[in-house]
Amino acid sequence: MEVQKEAQRIMTLSVWKMYHSRMQRGGLRLHRSLQLSLVMRSARELYLSAKVEAHEPEVSLQPARSPDPRLHRPREAEAEAARLDGEQPSPEPMDTQEAPRAEEAPPRGGPRPAKVSRKRRSSSLSDGGDVGLVPSKKARLEEEEEEAAASPEVPDRLQPSPAQAEGAFPNLARVLQRRFSGLLNCSPAAPPTAPPACEAKPACRPADNMLNVLVRAVVAF
Amino acid sequence: KLRHHSITTVTLLPDIISTVEFNHTGELLATGDKGGRVVIFQREQESKNQIHRRGEYNVYSTFQSHEPEFDYLKSLEIEEKINKIRWLPQQNAAYFLLSTNDKTVKLWKVSERDKRPEGYNLKDEEGRLRDPATITTLRVPVLRPMDLMVEATPRRVFANAHTYHINSISVNSDYETYMSADDLRINLWNFEITNQSFNIVDIKPANMEELTEVITAAEFHPHHCNTFVYSSSKGTIRLCDMRASALCDRHTKFFEEPEDPSNRSFFSEIISSISDVKFSHSGRYIMTRDYLTVKVWDLNMENRPIETYQVHDYLRSKLCSLYENDCIFDKFECVWNGSDSVIMTGSYNNFFRMFDRNTKRDVTLEASRENSKPRAILKPRKVCVGGKRRKDEISVDSLDFSKKILHTAWHPSENIIAVAATNNLYIFQDKVN
Repeated sequence: MEVQKEAQRIMTLSVWKMYHSRMQRGGLRLHRSLQLSLVMRSARELYLSAKVEAHEPEVSLQPARSPDPRLHRPREAEAEAARLDGEQPSPEPMDTQEAPRAEEAPPRGGPRPAKVSRKRRSSSLSDGGDVGLVPSKKARLEEEEEEAAASPEVPDRLQPSPAQAEGAFPNLARVLQRRFSGLLNCSPAAPPTAPPACEAKPACRPADNMLNVLVRAVVAF
Repeated sequence: KLRHHSITTVTLLPDIISTVEFNHTGELLATGDKGGRVVIFQREQESKNQIHRRGEYNVYSTFQSHEPEFDYLKSLEIEEKINKIRWLPQQNAAYFLLSTNDKTVKLWKVSERDKRPEGYNLKDEEGRLRDPATITTLRVPVLRPMDLMVEATPRRVFANAHTYHINSISVNSDYETYMSADDLRINLWNFEITNQSFNIVDIKPANMEELTEVITAAEFHPHHCNTFVYSSSKGTIRLCDMRASALCDRHTKFFEEPEDPSNRSFFSEIISSISDVKFSHSGRYIMTRDYLTVKVWDLNMENRPIETYQVHDYLRSKLCSLYENDCIFDKFECVWNGSDSVIMTGSYNNFFRMFDRNTKRDVTLEASRENSKPRAILKPRKVCVGGKRRKDEISVDSLDFSKKILHTAWHPSENIIAVAATNNLYIFQDKVN
């Protein structure tokens, strides 16, 4: 849970930074955007791996939510991305609870098209009912291949050294070490498949869309 | 090493200093700031009359190099901040330098005027036209001495060649061309031609979603006019030879160190981004700066650096906080001394570090007004990383991360260094007794 919360906090923080970097004089800086999206991706992978490790369905935490809680993450990211247009006041960076995001869970295809119509951010429509502008299936497949290829690197990459246990983030470092020592022994074939397959599959797609949304939001000029 | 009596001058500039550069003789020192201004300092000539002012740097010229601009097409403001200044070698009485902001490079001529023509026939002393009827004789105007005036004029403006933000400029050793690098492209210019440039590196992917790395710095080889290097956000350096092809997308050499698995962390990727790359004066080595280290590479060995120096390794466990306060994105520069025996780079708390490559000794010094009385010896500082803190040490948690030294410069032949600490320019001179 700690890992998930911290990863979520970093994700939120990163999106907030992306939003802010757009408002800065001189415009969006490509290098900064790339770095933020890298951290974002690491945080997301960490979050997903930790969630899968947890073996607990998230539904139990949010009884009022719709079936697959993982679908809310792209909503959040998409909402953040949509807010980059400045159409809403700046997001609360530290809000890691899922409850306030209930407002963004409305049926897809609702107010979405109007919000993203000004900018060419077709990918943000791809995970909703507003497909049609972009052939999203191909992109998703490529992302999944990327994910599968990238996942064996995840545990290695995120394995901190014991020396990092002290400092500003002691809990995260310790939790990371505990959790990922197990992952290192897993087969490198796919993201951890301990939970039922039906749960693992949908886990890939929304996450891909989030990366899509973020990377595209970040690089769109 | 600055162990002996040092002369220190501290100059408060009107804005945050964004670049510092000595010219090729060390006689001039240029600073650029966030407000688009360039301030040039000149070293006082030694004279019998002013022993104490011998070798001091004083303001020589100030001019506005870049103004804020607005890109209407993209609805973006273009910052006037000077990202880099590079001098051209002196070829006549005037001095030439290149200064650049995010989008436009300018060539400035800095020249002195100490004589003024007087005695025109058609104009009076104030420049007003004389009534021709009053002119009864002809005379030859003569040059009379006047108070020294230093004027800076923009001689060339190299614009509209960069879609992304310019991070580097580098003058070629042929003195006829120079390059400018942005996040994805490097352009080669001829000083005489402003409406065209050659694109020599282009790493923009066909699909921007596939973007994985950007160019962070670039520099020409000091002697071989066909060779240059550029560094990337992935911690790699590519050396290119312009004789190989017009578009140098395929490198001649590729420098990359395998990642140390024990150092892997959440932020590994972003702290490996190289913020500066510099050739040694000899041209045999390159030095790179990433967030925590400085590395020296031998051009003949691509698989790892020959030397690695820890600048502030105690920050490795603080990376998350440094990400929160954006310090992890700070771009530190690094410099060689004239003989390539010592390298220097900045850190936080107005500390800067020097590493002696021969003795392997290093020192941490501080640029602060309290510690920098003229002719005082610079005292080495030490950061305490844990356990008992000694009297003069400073603990990691007490470091002021808003006081960062990103830009430093070393005189080409003497032990004189310039250190930019926010608005203050420190010049330390080593005077061995």
